[in-house]
Amino acid sequence: MSLGFDGMGSAFFEGDRPVAEEISLHIASGILQIGLDDGRILRWPVAEVRQMPDTAGKKGAVLRLRSDPLARLFVTDLSVLTHLPNRHRRTPPKGRVRLAAWAVAAVAAVGLQIGYLIPLLADNMALYIPPAGERALGEATFGHIREALDDTGLNPVPVCTSQAGVAVLDRLVTQLGTDRDFRQEVSVFVLDHEMVNAFALPGGFVVLFRGLIDAAEGPDEVAAVLAHEIGHVVSRDPTRHALRSAGSIGVLGLLFGDFAGGAAVLFLTERLISAQYSQGAEAGADTFAHQVLDKAGISPGALGDMFENFRRKHGDRDGVSAHFLSHPALGERIAAAQAAVDVDAAYHPAMSEADWASLRGICD
Amino acid sequence: MSDTLIPDSPWSAAPQATAVRSARDGMQVEFVGKRGALFWLALKTGFFTILTLGFYRFWMKTRLRRWYWSAIRPGGHPLEYMGDPLEKLLGFFIAVVVLTFYIGIVNLLLMFVSFSVFNSSWLGYVASFAGVIPIWFYARYRARRYVLARTRWRGVRFGLEKGAWGYAARALLYWAITILSLGTLWPRMTFLLEKYRTDRTFFGSARLVQGGRWQMLYRAAVPFIMVLLGGVALGLWIAVIDPVAPNMWARLETLPEQVVTAMGLGRWPTAWQTPERLWGIPLVLSGLIYGAVHYRWVAKRIMANHKAAYGITIASRLQGPRVAMIYVLGTFISYMVLILGIGLIVFLSLIMYGQTDWLDPGKASGFSAFGDLPRWLSFTVLGVIYLSVFLMWGVLHNTFVTFPIMRHMARTTTLPLTAGLPAISQRDRDAFAEAEGFAEALDLGAAI
Repeated sequence: MSLGFDGMGSAFFEGDRPVAEEISLHIASGILQIGLDDGRILRWPVAEVRQMPDTAGKKGAVLRLRSDPLARLFVTDLSVLTHLPNRHRRTPPKGRVRLAAWAVAAVAAVGLQIGYLIPLLADNMALYIPPAGERALGEATFGHIREALDDTGLNPVPVCTSQAGVAVLDRLVTQLGTDRDFRQEVSVFVLDHEMVNAFALPGGFVVLFRGLIDAAEGPDEVAAVLAHEIGHVVSRDPTRHALRSAGSIGVLGLLFGDFAGGAAVLFLTERLISAQYSQGAEAGADTFAHQVLDKAGISPGALGDMFENFRRKHGDRDGVSAHFLSHPALGERIAAAQAAVDVDAAYHPAMSEADWASLRGICD
Repeated sequence: MSDTLIPDSPWSAAPQATAVRSARDGMQVEFVGKRGALFWLALKTGFFTILTLGFYRFWMKTRLRRWYWSAIRPGGHPLEYMGDPLEKLLGFFIAVVVLTFYIGIVNLLLMFVSFSVFNSSWLGYVASFAGVIPIWFYARYRARRYVLARTRWRGVRFGLEKGAWGYAARALLYWAITILSLGTLWPRMTFLLEKYRTDRTFFGSARLVQGGRWQMLYRAAVPFIMVLLGGVALGLWIAVIDPVAPNMWARLETLPEQVVTAMGLGRWPTAWQTPERLWGIPLVLSGLIYGAVHYRWVAKRIMANHKAAYGITIASRLQGPRVAMIYVLGTFISYMVLILGIGLIVFLSLIMYGQTDWLDPGKASGFSAFGDLPRWLSFTVLGVIYLSVFLMWGVLHNTFVTFPIMRHMARTTTLPLTAGLPAISQRDRDAFAEAEGFAEALDLGAAI
């Protein structure tokens, strides 16, 4: 039995010249017969005919023979399609091994960069940046942060400068520097903002928020936080971190491309990685703080008290979301602080009641 | 250039775009395909892209291109896109391997030098950005070469010759000239870069030639120039001749504050002179945007009318205002549908679950009495919503901007002379291992 189809508007392209040849179409005994004007008849077994996918419109379909990469048959009579059983079957992909090899190479390259090369380079370079450069970097960042914290963005958050309060802070830094005078390396600022937080910036900037001083239940807790941040300054964590993110954010930007804007994914991933980087740095700064406090005659347990206080107010961050925050789970850090307390030592408060009052009034 | 002999050509003179037009063998470009079909294809592939964390994007791009290409039918016969998603994926991996070392290490070194020598970070950022610019042009040319190599019509391949670094060097040079000439030589850059690409473009064995002169593109810039002159006049009027605010130049730093106060009050500051003139500023800005769109597309039309191969000419009747209207309306409709859609999702979820907790930012950020699981869940929900918004934006942009522009471009294009077609033969396949990987990695892949 032979089936005929409407060849009106159909065309055959042999795959060499861009010239449409008029055709007649028949299917007989499982063979699609394409009759050309010059009398030739091409025979395509129906099981070997494939249809080009994702074609727009309902006017016409493009067919090809599995074994011929170039010849094309453009048909307008779509009833022929129902007689082509394998028209949607796909060609098996070629070069899978090569693809897998490059995929592994790409993952390895990114992993090597972010996990090893960039941290290694950043750690070494941080030691060679001249103090003036670090200082300038810290100053610029401090300015940006002060502007960013203000809701309107017009007036940077002011630095608290009450004379008595500044003098107390200065004395506290001197007091902590039993082995080594930090006053040359560290400059402490208090920002007039209610956030309960503190951070260190490149160039020895240590910034406490007024909210942290208000939330502290005694001067020892502030001293402990200060010691912790000085620990970051001494090990140059902020500078290393700035260099690391300069390197790794570019590499990550490559991976995500323009999928979903990329920026948010990029930001989250960068947080995740920098949290991994700095969990070690935080633990190091904690250990540093324990030693400094102990030598200065202040109980290292104060750091734990501060965290306990923090946890009571805000809850712990164990679990999934803890990975997105740069601080290791508080429980471990409290335990570490308590373990650092020497039971035989005679600890004294970090400052007098009068000094503590001055410090609490530094923003007035 | 248009009179010189073309290499490897059997003809004694270059093809002329303004050859005798014969209506008999002229060819109209048709556009088939419905907006709804494209919408579903974009939605479906976009959804898979989100499910696979972005990996399906190579398939999405391929399928959308196949659809668009097959909708465009010169002489009734569809273009064919033969790109392979797997080769795109492979190209992306290759580009990541090559670029990751360049970008990671170079950025780090630049930052280090910038901190240590210049005491600031912005120089490092500028340098690292500047370092990527040549690669950016390189990647654009390579991406075009890939797309042309995978495009066929009537079974015959298109192609673009090698020359990506030459393109990048010229692009940098012309950009420098354009900047030094304060933009007055912009049309020269547009024309010469297009000529570089067109003169290396093939259909089968036939080389395309860009004729014409760069000066002809000034015609396309007329609206932009007019608006610019109007803007300068307006600026002089409201700032110098008859200042809006008294003593404006003496107290420039108080100006933002005045504006903020005025916005709070909902009226102009009382001391200002006929402040209604300030409405001219947004008018001029939108005029400039229109001028830029008009220039870009009308320049394309003018240059298309001067492209030719032996026995083949191209004619375009593309309308600048129409394209600008598509952009404005399409973007507006996309935004409206997006906002309505988000509103509907939020509204439905409120009704169905009566759960409002995850909408509260204080709770979502993890400081509340939430346990770990709900917080984790709310992050996931927020993440999915965020991705869906991006997905919908892409889908709507395809439906309301890319689709009508493609359709307008196709329907306004004709091939008045096609007598040269029978003399063309097939060209070899361009293997091209890295596909458009560099463009993908450097984020140039937004366009179809």
